[in-house]
Amino acid sequence: MQVVLFLLLLLLLIPLFRLFGAEVSDKLFVGFGYYGDNGKSHVFSPIVELVKKLSREWILTVKERIDAISAASIKNGGRVFQVDSVAGASPSKQGLFQDLRSATTLSLTWTDVDNTVSFGGYFSREIDYEGKSVFLTYIRQLNLQNTALGISLSQANDRWFPRFKREGFPKSRNERKIDLSITQLWSPTLMFSFIYSDIYSYGFLPSPYHYYITKDWARFESYPNKRKASAYTLRAVKLLNERTSLNLMYRYYTDDWKIKSHTINAEVYRDVKRNFTLGFRGRLYTQTKSFFAKSIGNYKLNDPYIAIDYRMSAFSSITLGTMFIYKPKKRSLRHLKFKGSFDLYFTSNNEYIKTWYGVSNLNAIFLTFGVDYNF
Amino acid sequence: MRLLLIPICFFLMGCSEKLVRVMPYEREFFAQEKMLISPIDVRAEQEGHVFLIREASAGGEASFQGGCGCR
Repeated sequence: MQVVLFLLLLLLLIPLFRLFGAEVSDKLFVGFGYYGDNGKSHVFSPIVELVKKLSREWILTVKERIDAISAASIKNGGRVFQVDSVAGASPSKQGLFQDLRSATTLSLTWTDVDNTVSFGGYFSREIDYEGKSVFLTYIRQLNLQNTALGISLSQANDRWFPRFKREGFPKSRNERKIDLSITQLWSPTLMFSFIYSDIYSYGFLPSPYHYYITKDWARFESYPNKRKASAYTLRAVKLLNERTSLNLMYRYYTDDWKIKSHTINAEVYRDVKRNFTLGFRGRLYTQTKSFFAKSIGNYKLNDPYIAIDYRMSAFSSITLGTMFIYKPKKRSLRHLKFKGSFDLYFTSNNEYIKTWYGVSNLNAIFLTFGVDYNF
Repeated sequence: MRLLLIPICFFLMGCSEKLVRVMPYEREFFAQEKMLISPIDVRAEQEGHVFLIREASAGGEASFQGGCGCR
C-alpha cells in the first residue's frame, strides 16, 4: 500500500516539476524494477530521480529507490539431524512485503568544459540494516575531449540491527572503494574504456542469521573480517553500421579470499526505426570458490571459517536479455523518453543452492522500465 | 604504491597528442544513445545490484552502489 501511495504521489508531482523547470537539462526520471527467482525472492523497486541545474556549473541530483522485498533470505531451515542453515531476517509482518528498503542518494556536481566534480551521500534503511556512504568523483577530459580520466572514491559505513540478540556481535560492515578509469575515443566509430577498482571491505562480512547445524553441533556462519579485492574491466563500444552498435565488456576480479572471476558481456543495439532502438545481450560469469568454502557436510566444529552462502562456492551464471529505447514522435510527447529491459538469469547447478534453497540452481528474471521527462 | 602508478600513467597518456584521434566534427555517432557505455541507465543500476547480491565479485562499473543487507 505504501508503494502504491508513493507512486501516486510521484504521478501527482510530475506537472509541478514541469511548471518549475526552466532549463532543458533539468530532468525527472520515474522508473520501476522487479526481481524474482525460484528461491521465492521477489523485489519490487520504484525509483524516482530528479536532476536540477542550479546554475551554469552546478547540478543537483536527488534519487529515491524503494525495494519492497518478500522472502529476503533463505527460508528453508530447522531440519533436525541434517546439515542445515536457518535464516531469521525480515520476519513476516501483516503487510504484503516482509521488508521495505528505502535508499536515498543526494549528489552535487560542478562542471566546466573539461572538468567534472561530483560528491554526495547515500543513506538506506531496512528492517535490520542501515547503509551510509559518501562518494567523490573527478573526471578530467584531455586531448580535445578524446580522453577522459576519472577517479572515484567512496566510503561506506553500514550497520546491522539483527532481529535477535547475539552475544559479542560486531555490528558494523564497512567498505572503501577506489575506481580509476580512462575512456578513449579511438575512431569516429570506436571507443575504449578501462576501469580499475580497488575494494577493501572490513567489519562483520557474513550474514548474522545464517548458521550451520549438524546433529552434534551448530555454529553461525563465519568469514574473515577483512577482504581486499581488485577488478580490471575493459569495455569497447563500436558502431558496426549506421543503425547498429556493439557493446563489449570483460572483467577480471580477484580477492584475498582466493575468489577469482571472469565476466564477459556483449550487447547489440539496432535502430529499428528512427525513434525506436532494440537491443539484445548475453553475459557469462564464472567464479572460483573462496579458500574456506568446503563441500556441504565437511565442516568441522573447530574450522576457523564456515560458509553457508553459495557465493563463497564455485559456480557460473548466464544472463540473456533484451532492451529498448523509445522516443515518441508526437510533438506533445517529445520531452519523454521510455527505456526498458527484460533479463533471464541462470546459475549453474550448485550443492549450496540445492541444500538451502531446495532447487538445483537459481533461475531469476529481472526487468526495468523507466521514463525520462525533460522539462 | 600500485594505486599511485596507475593515475600517473593515465595522466602521462593524457598528454600525448597522438590520442587526439577524433575531431569534434566527427563525433556525431557518439552523441547517439546506442553508443553510450550504458544506454539503458535504469537497467545498469538494477543489474548492478542484482549481480552484486547474486555473485561474489564487484567493481568495474565506476558507479556508486550503496550497501544493503542482502550482500
